[in-house]
Amino acid sequence: MINFLPKQLFLLDPLAIFFLAVIGLVCIPSAIFSIGYMREEPLKKKVLAWALLMVFVLSMCSVVTAGNLFSFLIFWELMSLASYFLVVFDYKHEKSINAGTIYLIMTHAGTACLMAAFFILYNYAHSFDYMAVRHAVVLLSPQMRNIVFLLLLVGFSTKAGVVPLHIWLPYAHPQAPSHVSSIMSGVMIKIAIYGMIRFFVTLLGPGPAWWGAAILVLGMISCLVGVIYALMDHDLKKLLAYHSVENIGIILLGVGAAMFFASLSIVPVAALSMCAGLYHLVNHALFKGLLFLCSGSVFKATGLRNIEKMGGLIKAMPMTAFFFLIGAMGISALPPLNGFVSEWLTFQAFFLGILQSPGAIKIFMVVSAAVLALTSGLAAACFVKAFGITFLAMPRSKRAQEAREADSSMKAGMALMAAGVVLFGLGAGFAAPLIFNISQSVLGIQATQISFHLVSIIPPAIAAFLLVLGGVIFLWFKFGLRTRQVQYNTWDCGYYALDSRNEYTATAFSKPFRIAFGFFLLPYRKSEKIRDSFYHIRKFTYETHTTLVFKRYFYEPLARMIYGAAFKMRKLQPGSIHLYILYIFITLVTLLALATVF
Amino acid sequence: MILNIILSGFLVVTFLLVISKRITALVRTFRTQSIFLFLYTLYMGISQRHTELFIVCGLVFVLKAVVIPFVLLRIMRRIDVEEDLGLLVNPQLSLIIALGFTYLSYLLAHNAMALKNSMESAAFVASITAVCVGFFIMVSRMKALGQIVGLLVMENGIFLAASAIAGGMPFFVEIALFFDVFVFVVIVEVFVYKVNRLFTHIDTSKMKSLKG
Amino acid sequence: MMTLNNVIMITGKAVTLALFAPLVSGIIRKIKDTLRMRKGQSIFQPYYNIRKLFSKNEVISGNVSWIFYAAPVIIFVSTACALFMILMAQPGPDMKNGLAVLIAAFFVLGLGRFFLALAGLDAGSSFGGMGSSREMFISSFAEPAAFIAAFVLFMGGGNCFKISGLLAGIAIFMVTIAETSRIPIDNQETHLELTMVHEAMVLEYSGRSLALIELAAHIKQIVFFTLISWYFFSVLTLGCWSWLLFSAEIVFIGLIVALIEISVAKMRLFRVVDFLSFSFFIALVASIAAGLGL
Repeated sequence: MINFLPKQLFLLDPLAIFFLAVIGLVCIPSAIFSIGYMREEPLKKKVLAWALLMVFVLSMCSVVTAGNLFSFLIFWELMSLASYFLVVFDYKHEKSINAGTIYLIMTHAGTACLMAAFFILYNYAHSFDYMAVRHAVVLLSPQMRNIVFLLLLVGFSTKAGVVPLHIWLPYAHPQAPSHVSSIMSGVMIKIAIYGMIRFFVTLLGPGPAWWGAAILVLGMISCLVGVIYALMDHDLKKLLAYHSVENIGIILLGVGAAMFFASLSIVPVAALSMCAGLYHLVNHALFKGLLFLCSGSVFKATGLRNIEKMGGLIKAMPMTAFFFLIGAMGISALPPLNGFVSEWLTFQAFFLGILQSPGAIKIFMVVSAAVLALTSGLAAACFVKAFGITFLAMPRSKRAQEAREADSSMKAGMALMAAGVVLFGLGAGFAAPLIFNISQSVLGIQATQISFHLVSIIPPAIAAFLLVLGGVIFLWFKFGLRTRQVQYNTWDCGYYALDSRNEYTATAFSKPFRIAFGFFLLPYRKSEKIRDSFYHIRKFTYETHTTLVFKRYFYEPLARMIYGAAFKMRKLQPGSIHLYILYIFITLVTLLALATVF
Repeated sequence: MILNIILSGFLVVTFLLVISKRITALVRTFRTQSIFLFLYTLYMGISQRHTELFIVCGLVFVLKAVVIPFVLLRIMRRIDVEEDLGLLVNPQLSLIIALGFTYLSYLLAHNAMALKNSMESAAFVASITAVCVGFFIMVSRMKALGQIVGLLVMENGIFLAASAIAGGMPFFVEIALFFDVFVFVVIVEVFVYKVNRLFTHIDTSKMKSLKG
Repeated sequence: MMTLNNVIMITGKAVTLALFAPLVSGIIRKIKDTLRMRKGQSIFQPYYNIRKLFSKNEVISGNVSWIFYAAPVIIFVSTACALFMILMAQPGPDMKNGLAVLIAAFFVLGLGRFFLALAGLDAGSSFGGMGSSREMFISSFAEPAAFIAAFVLFMGGGNCFKISGLLAGIAIFMVTIAETSRIPIDNQETHLELTMVHEAMVLEYSGRSLALIELAAHIKQIVFFTLISWYFFSVLTLGCWSWLLFSAEIVFIGLIVALIEISVAKMRLFRVVDFLSFSFFIALVASIAAGLGL
């Protein structure tokens, strides 16, 4: 009756190959980076780390190439477990264990939803094969299809870190070793996007319009919430983790718009949106991987993650700073790098959608575009903060002062990723049509009305313009002008003792945003004054915090509820073995009774 | 083209009303809105060559753009309360809500009314937005003057709607309406003055305490 | 699509505009001074300033890195690039590509802003940091309004005084005030550190670097003025008198800006959110009107 052995073990369609390529793009440089990063660890730990990494990467590859629900689920679990062990790799820290636990709970809650959805599908298809599922989908009633959609949505959103299920991401990603964070943030959360595309688009077929709209709305929320939290956070890796939430949102904007337009049968726009989403997926994998590697290099050199204690690192670690700058420019969507191309494509897709869709949908698309614009503005602000406070000006602590540049393997890893960031920007003319073809095959359509003429011209043209005119000005300054440069102190209003304590801090930098988004962040401050007298304050401490709304008003009450329920359940466990046997007996009888009724 | 400019001006001013944080700003913005309404009726009068319309338009100017703002500003000076309007809803949220009104009236113009003439639907959208915004100001502002201006804004909106859709109300109704509004403002002036003398404030959100 | 002829023409236009950009600032200054009953500087003063700065020596802080040296060049070049692109994007029959180029131009302006903000942080002075923080704050709120206004322009607003075009024009005008650091958002005339945004960031610059940054600011201003002119006057820019008309439009926009500058007080920083969210919502209303075909 139960046919566990599926006919089709692996499926290598363009979508799978695309994701394999993404995995390769991030994992190879990260692995190279890890040689230098793990150098000081004892051999035993090194071996363990490599083994776990291999399992992790292989399981990811297997998830995207799986040809049936069963192996998908198995490899999915393997991926989760391998990454869990990598998160708690630094098991002596209590923080790591905590982060790992949160991660484990969330990811299993998600997997439970996936399992439920898969069993429903199996019930109709009587097979785990994708092909059988594809054919059986017509048998599902619309309600059933919606239930399956919602279950899968919750399951994949948990893994992808979509708000409000993002809670584990800012804990787990920073705790893992940096090359693993790079892979987790760059690739693993994308596997969930793979799941969404695989199930919502290719298997469950073009669903009703609200599926796409729901994903678009989730994308918008994730974008804004992610970037606002990132602005508030001054832990470099946590900040990057929040940016992953934001970028997942941007990817979902593309994917959601694709689903939305596909269900309205505005086909070319759907393909373009999907292309924009997938393009951003590659880009995010590259620049987020790069940024995590750079943060790892900084961490290795200074032992710090709090950017308030850094500063001036550009002089000690020029290469790391340069690579971080490339990554920051990419993620802030600055031309001619890769983030620009994909966000630009997303805007174009929205605009084409506006031109071709009726009435109210236009306004929905306009709002989505506005959210994307706000997000990219805020992201740029956040990376000015991240780069400026970390690398520029004067060092704010002794450890930052004594930082040394990373070694060659780490530099090689970062350089590879940075090259990817630049190439996917300048070479958009090659990459975009390729990804467009993939998205066409994903959507199962043939629409070739979209021309990528402009996409292939503009980024190189901008780059050429910048280089030529910039070069001319540089040469003119160097040889044409007869003025001198005099070195002096920074303007200090005649104070003559300007030091790192006078610098603008990250907290100060983000203050305008903290106040403007105060309705969401609910900031509060603690200050403490130690006085000699009313007029003379000897010591003054000041802290400002923001409230994590989702944690405070959703997860904490939920956790309390679960604990409360568990305490009540304890009454069932008096420790008597006879009673336990009775329980089993009662359950058995109830089941038998139920079986006779149905 | 001129009509377009007038209507977009009207719409922008309506949105400005929503973010006014002070009583004087609110009254002045109301005055600007009335001036746009005056321009609208003037344009209608010129294009349709109705003598009655000119009278109406003169009344709009004299009453709504000159007298009523003057009276309201005078109350402000006389009772000498603080300027702050007391926003129950902050400006950003107010703007979102006002945008919702515009969208609603857009749907109304598009689906329910099935207005074909683009100018008509534009005026309709502007007027319904103004009516809703007037309501909203009445609901969400603490000070009594907020309620007064809200009502006047609503009246402006209804006036615009009437002249856009129905080609204007009958002449006498319009005159009567103007008279009504004027009397309303005068009475309200007296009352606000009295209320302020009695309670030393004109904060309507504190009226709950009157309940026995 | 782009013939050589086209490229030469756009280059010519861009160079002309860039050359006249400081003049526009001079004219605005002059209008303000005249209205305030002052004699005021000559309208060519911005040119004199730039020439003076180019011939002066530079004082550079000892704390800075290469970012500080590179930033002025990047700012200038990216602004010039945006000028080029905006001239290519002129609304025409090819709406999709026009919009794409315009949006890319916004992104290119973002590149300059990014480096300007970094340079503000580089010297380690709190003024610079304050300026960078505020600049990024203001610009990130200005961005959505600018993008939506651009959408509306190519959705068929603009031209012929449509309601959508007018509303979007008002939105983009407010964005322009924010982006060109004019009163009520910022004040170009003062160096009072607590109120300034743009001036705080460039406080450490002097000599030729400052000259480049100022030139970039003038060009950025003309980029935005050109954009405004599409919303309000595009119906006029036809025929052989177009250049004359265009100059008149730019001066007219300058006049409005000058009038606003002398009649309004500068806002508190957090009122800027209200100001820009107002422009954002006006742009959204414009998009609703455009959806209605108005």
